[in-house]
Formats: sequence, structure tokens, C-alpha cells
Amino acid sequence: MAETEPRVVVFTCNWSAYGALETAGSQRLAYPANVRPIRVICLGRLHPGLILKAFELGADGVLLLGCPPGECYYEFGNERAEELFKETRAIAHLLGIEDERLMLDWVGAGEGEAFVQKVTEFYRQATCWRDL
Amino acid sequence: MEAIQQIIKSTKAYYCLECGKCTSVCPISRREPAYSPRLTVERAMWGEGEELLTDALLWSCLTCQHCSERCPSDVYYAEFIRDLRALARGAGEQGLCSHGEAIQTWMRMMASPDLKQNRLKWLDEDLKVCTLQQALRQAQEGPQDTANSDIVYFVGCLPYYDVLFTKIGAQGVEIAQSAVRVLNRLGIEPIILENERCCGHDLLWEGDVTNFRKLAELNVAMLQATGAKRIITACPECYRTLSVDYPEYVGSLGMEVVHISQLLAERLVGSWKLEVGSWKKVTYQDPCRLGRFMGVYEEPRQVISALGLELVEMNHSGKNALCCGTNCWTNCGAINKQIQVDRLREARATGAELLVTACAKCQIHFKCALDDARLDQEIGIEIRDLVTLVDAALAQEEGGSKA
Repeated sequence: MAETEPRVVVFTCNWSAYGALETAGSQRLAYPANVRPIRVICLGRLHPGLILKAFELGADGVLLLGCPPGECYYEFGNERAEELFKETRAIAHLLGIEDERLMLDWVGAGEGEAFVQKVTEFYRQATCWRDL
Repeated sequence: MEAIQQIIKSTKAYYCLECGKCTSVCPISRREPAYSPRLTVERAMWGEGEELLTDALLWSCLTCQHCSERCPSDVYYAEFIRDLRALARGAGEQGLCSHGEAIQTWMRMMASPDLKQNRLKWLDEDLKVCTLQQALRQAQEGPQDTANSDIVYFVGCLPYYDVLFTKIGAQGVEIAQSAVRVLNRLGIEPIILENERCCGHDLLWEGDVTNFRKLAELNVAMLQATGAKRIITACPECYRTLSVDYPEYVGSLGMEVVHISQLLAERLVGSWKLEVGSWKKVTYQDPCRLGRFMGVYEEPRQVISALGLELVEMNHSGKNALCCGTNCWTNCGAINKQIQVDRLREARATGAELLVTACAKCQIHFKCALDDARLDQEIGIEIRDLVTLVDAALAQEEGGSKA
């Protein structure tokens, strides 16, 4: 059976985005089951190789969710994340992966609703790419 | 294990005389006493082959073939390691890789037949090329107006390396742009494939034969569809892979493959006298794939002379040239860095102000070593690709006497 649901990987940083995910959980907010969060200690710890790997394994979209600007737990981890995001996007672009399939965003630790809204919206868009 | 016996046979490892000349020239052994090509061959012969497959040192070999150059029995050590790695991967070993496996990942992604890349952004308007569509029409309807479109320029991974390595000062797509501009000046408007895949060199030498085959088959099909007769590369690895490994693994291309230095030597020398830069003395790094693997030593040197540059050789040059320190994006560490620094010091000791490379990877590896500011200050040598030098010289000449 062909898989019709898109698959979305969300890399969350441990401090803000994963906190938001937990908040969403405690508030009993639901998000699509095909959104697969992967917790890393900080988005600055990622590498183009890891993000490309998600696409290689069949992800339709990859969302990086980290700390809001100026609020990184490690001071500048989210700046590093931005650098590696741009680099990875450039490589993904060469490979014919549309820019919007790899996004970088942020969410505060207590913002469960914002987390759900962001990943659900990203998932909804991924459904459109799948239909293309 | 029968497969290991087969490798011993096909690489002539059974001819080993235990003289150890391989180990004495091995750039890895010089810095890592635990690594010895002689002992590796010995262990395979003693029946310890299966242990070799799980040994981390299996991934240390640079496959630079310096050892085979000295071997009195002509043992193909690089191929011996390559085939053992394939066996190890088959047994579930992951191998080692640098750059967080990003490079191997995009190479494997390219093995997908449906890929639609955006890899031609570097083609500036002044560069004249023939697209695949034009080439196909030509193949069907006979020659069109475009000149010499039976020649493909195989670009390789330059657009991808450009993303990762221009930040350390390495020349990326600049090499491809120069190559096309130089070809245009020679009256060639090369065919360029918009969905060209990585040649697969690195995957092959790391033992990932499955994905190498996929890449090779895709490339062969696209190249043959152009109806071209000749393929030009500016990358020694593509050159070696397309001309030697494709025929061996997926069948003959039926096309001649040449490295751009060979074409330039044929067309430049004697007919043009070019002037470039303010360097008084330059030295040249023989890439292992171009030199020891393919025997192309003279042509790049002829081109350097035609550029009016004085070439001074390093202590180790030609067949004896030292490797740039890393291969197939595998296993880069302190030892590899040390090999690079040793080589750069050797280059500087010649009194040369410029190190000419003919392989994008040699340049990336050296520039990476010089990314250390103290070293850069101490060694202080410029590094440029041969093709970009020729391009610069032709640009200077423009407006003067026409060739």
C-alpha cells in the first residue's frame, strides 16, 4: 500500500521547543501523528549531514524548532543553527528539494499552543508537497 | 573466508614479499605506527581477514597508491583495501566519515533516478554551453550550428563543494566556470548535463558498491544519450572513475575520457605564450588519481610552463608525490591534518609562492589545514587550481594578439 500521509521530522532543541512540546502534552493538545519530533540538546548541535539524512530516509519536510532569538540556553546556539540551516538549504536546493520543505523557526518553552500550531501548519503544507 | 581469498587473488596480494617498502612510504604509517600496509596484507594471508574487516584501521588507508608504486611485486594495495571495505560494509560495518556524513548522504541521494537538481546556477551568461536537449536534437538530426558539441564537460561535485568549502577559501564553482571559459576559447561549446550525478568515486573507494553502481548507471545512460564522443573533466577522480571504473563495473561508455590538463597541453603548448600573476616560482601537487593512478604527470607541468611560470618541484613529486592527506571524505583526524601540514611545508620549502593544484579536493584539504591562522602565517603559500590560472591568463591576453 502506498503511503499517502506525509512524513515530517521536527528537530527540537531541549530547552525551548521540547519544553513547548511538553507543555502541549500537559495541556492535552494534539498534533498530527506523522510529525516525528527528534530532541537534540541544542539546534546548534545539528549538522547538514543529519538534516539531509532525514530527507534521504524519506521525510517530506524537516522543521528545525529552537530557542527564540536572544534566548538561546547556550547563548549563541541558535545563531549556529541559522548558519547550518542556510548551508543545508543550499545543498538541498541543489538536490532539487524545495526551500519550503526545510524551515527554521522558534518557539518559547511555555508556548504549547504555538508549538502545535507551527508543526500542524508545516504538516499541512507537507501534504500539499506530497500531492505535487 | 572465500571472499577474502578472492580479493587476495585479484589484487595479487599473494605476491607480497614481506619487504615492508609499502609501510616505509605510507603517509599514514609515518604518523600512526599501528598502521602498516605490510602487516595488513600479512594478516589477510594468515587467515585473519575477518578481523581486518572490523578493525577501525581499515578506514585509515588513503588509497593514494604510494605503496604500490614502491612494491616490487606490484600488489594492488589500494584495490585490496577498497574490496575489503566493500566486504566490511556488506557485513554491516559503517565505516568512518567526516563532515557528519553530509557528503556521502547527498551522493547516495543522487542515486535516486527521479532527482531533478538545480545544479547549473554557476553558468553565467558569458559561458557558452550546449544543453542536453540541444545535444539530443543534434544526435537525431545531425550537426547543428553549435561548435564541437560532441564534447561533454563532466562537472562533478563542484557546485556542492562550493556550498561547504568556499568559506575556507577553496575555489568551488569558479573551477567549473574557468573550465567552460577556457573550453570556449578553444572553440568548444561543451554539453553540460543538468542532472549529472556524482561520479561515485568516493562511494566506490569506501566500499559502497551498490550505490556506486546506481550512480554509474545513471551517468552512463545520460552520457550515452548525448551522442558525444569525448568527455572532459577538470577533476582527477571523475577522470579516473569514468575511464577505468565505469567500464569495469557497468560496462564501457564508448567515449574517450580526458582530463582538462591533457587537452590544454595538446592545444596550449607551443602555440600560446601566456602571462599570469606576479608569482616568480610555483610548485605543483600531483593528485594521486591523475598521477599514480592514470600516469598523467607531464601535461599539467607543460601547461604551467606555457603560463610563463617557473616550476620548482617538491622533494616528493611525480610518482613519489605525497598525498594531500585525506580521501573520499573518510577518517579525517590529527594524522591527516599532520600529513597536510607536512606537505604544505614541503611546498613552501621550494621557495614557491604558489601551489598549483589540479584536483578540487587537494585544494580543499590544503586550504582546510591553512584555516589555522598561525599555520597560514607560517607557511603562507597561495593555492590555485590549474584551470583557473589558465583562465586568468587567457583573460589577460584578451584584447592582445588573438590565438
